[in-house]
Amino acid sequence: MTASPRTPSMQGPPDSVRPLLAALADPASTASYEETLWDRVIPLARSARLLGVLAHRVFENVERTRLPDRVQRHLDAGLIEARFRRQKTLYLLHTITPILEGHPGPWVLLKGAGYIAQDLPFSHGRLPADVDLMVPRTSLAGIEQGLLDAGWEFEKNEPYDQHYYRAWSHELPPMIAAGQAMELDLHHGILPPVGRIRPDTARLFADAVPIAGSRFNVLCPQDQVLHAVVHLVYDSDFVGRLRDLLDIDALFRRLPLSDLAARHALIERARLHGMEQPLHLAAQLSRAWFDTPGCDALVAEGDVAASPFYGRGIVAMANRVLGPTNGQHGSDRSARTSELLLEARSHWLRMPPWLLAYHAASKGVRSLAQRVTKREDTATG
Amino acid sequence: MRIADISVESLLQRLSSDGLGIDFGAARARVRTALPAVAGMIQTLYSGYTTEDAEGMFDVTVDLRRVRGVRGFIRPQCELLCDGVPEIEPFPLDTPLPLREWGTNYAIATRLFCYLLLHAGVVERGGRAIVMPAMPGSGKSTLTAALTLRGFRLLSDEFGVVRLGDARLLRMLRPLALKNESIDVIQRFEPTAIIGPRFPKTHKGTVAHLAPQASHVDARHEVANPALVVFPRFDPSAGVELEPVTKPRAFARLAVNSFNYHALGPDAFDALGQLVHESSCWQLRYGDLDGAIKALGELLDETRPIDESARAAQYPQEVA
Repeated sequence: MTASPRTPSMQGPPDSVRPLLAALADPASTASYEETLWDRVIPLARSARLLGVLAHRVFENVERTRLPDRVQRHLDAGLIEARFRRQKTLYLLHTITPILEGHPGPWVLLKGAGYIAQDLPFSHGRLPADVDLMVPRTSLAGIEQGLLDAGWEFEKNEPYDQHYYRAWSHELPPMIAAGQAMELDLHHGILPPVGRIRPDTARLFADAVPIAGSRFNVLCPQDQVLHAVVHLVYDSDFVGRLRDLLDIDALFRRLPLSDLAARHALIERARLHGMEQPLHLAAQLSRAWFDTPGCDALVAEGDVAASPFYGRGIVAMANRVLGPTNGQHGSDRSARTSELLLEARSHWLRMPPWLLAYHAASKGVRSLAQRVTKREDTATG
Repeated sequence: MRIADISVESLLQRLSSDGLGIDFGAARARVRTALPAVAGMIQTLYSGYTTEDAEGMFDVTVDLRRVRGVRGFIRPQCELLCDGVPEIEPFPLDTPLPLREWGTNYAIATRLFCYLLLHAGVVERGGRAIVMPAMPGSGKSTLTAALTLRGFRLLSDEFGVVRLGDARLLRMLRPLALKNESIDVIQRFEPTAIIGPRFPKTHKGTVAHLAPQASHVDARHEVANPALVVFPRFDPSAGVELEPVTKPRAFARLAVNSFNYHALGPDAFDALGQLVHESSCWQLRYGDLDGAIKALGELLDETRPIDESARAAQYPQEVA
């Protein structure tokens, strides 16, 4: 164990994604890339939804004219899409601000919208698909009604979906509105209230910090890291979520994690929310994929009890499925097995077994009922 | 060497190994498939294209293959992978070519965000382009096909590719998809036209493809200047009627009919503004193909290229 800290199964990212990781880690070196290498890097970046991020990093380090025309065009495409999504995010925030007026805050922007509203450098090129806004539970009903009155509506409006979100989730069903390219997820917490980890929501709100020049707030820097961490390693199945790991890498560097005091403050905060194990796992992944400074120290210092949900087995499986594959190992059986196991794990963590069984059964009955109704419709129609 | 000059066997050999490079002009694709029937169809429809090896960088790599697994025995299907990812629902196995053509169009549309993509047929004569936006029932593909068989060169049938910054039109030369009655109309209109196999029962009815001519393929890297914007409308009871369309209205109709105008922001506004400014804009109602082609040719000859000094006087800030 001490002689060989990493067993072969934990070697980290598969070889097929390494060209993308190399370009992200050392964008200046792309100036000398052959077209055949770009031919692998660009599709990987696009599949991982990181084309805009890659474009920003490359153009900040390499004179545009040193890149082949075709490469410039694809990187430009990434910048254009990111600019569009950023603008649509800011537009959404602008249009909902009057609706929020009069409902006590803080109004807290989570994840992508928060990074964009703070204009953090690593948000440049990100492609957010939705805006996550967390408001105090006491303001939730009033804000929901205000949004509905202003033309927002629920994408899923079936009674069971509404019940599911309201009883067992930390957010309302996604909302959409005409003229908005982004979905709006209205939160009252960051994790399901029935799951294994129960963060201290009162402290999330109490320590939130205002964004300069904005009516919105974001979580305090440590909570921003921890939210990104649990979003990936607790609340997802890891499949194709490289961009979420890249966020964690950037947030670690921003603290910075390599600073002893900053690292200890983060661990202290993780303890408050019961998130030490997810943090430990995220540090192992961030180290393996991005060599993030400070992760080694965090992993070594962390006094974390062994757990089947956050152990070496999970790291090894996550390494297989995090990255884009672009067909390189799409039929790899161990990757498929990992996907299934990780999906089961995410359900298991999200809700207690009795609730999971109830939820799965309800879903099954409803899908069967829909199929029967459809068949009857076809028969009569 | 052109694709017509190599044997189907060696074409299939390339397609089923490293792949075949096809250059459409504004984009190029690497195509791979082991389905023998598809090699023959590609040879027919891409006969005028040059053979290119699969080395270097491509805008998209498409793999067309039979869907494996148990389901494949019950209901055989083919699927198209774009850069290794199944981005599109599979098609029945007997319609590989419509899947390939439609899927490649989709893949290109989602990857060429650096250009303004109009949903329009575009042809050119003497470097001066006619942009024909597609509206339902417009007969845009039929008219585009007929024009390319009467001395106009094809730029594109699905995408009008507009370069941001200077609003020049680029070529995206692809086999032109004809639907239902249009297939016979074009075959009768020009018996020498090369039209590929017919695929009945696709989601758009019967589909067949018109092969682009070699001389049009050879011009695939030439840019064209905007000259006419024509909104066609097929009406069997009409002869040929041309009516002017105001520029703001033409601008709005083109913008609404674009694949990505909304996402390109001010760059798209400026490029489309310049394209419309330089073009004479018309509504065309036609029941007669020959008459429509003659009228468009005359209209193109009568329309003078825009006077750049007049433009400078109109928008003085641009000169500075």
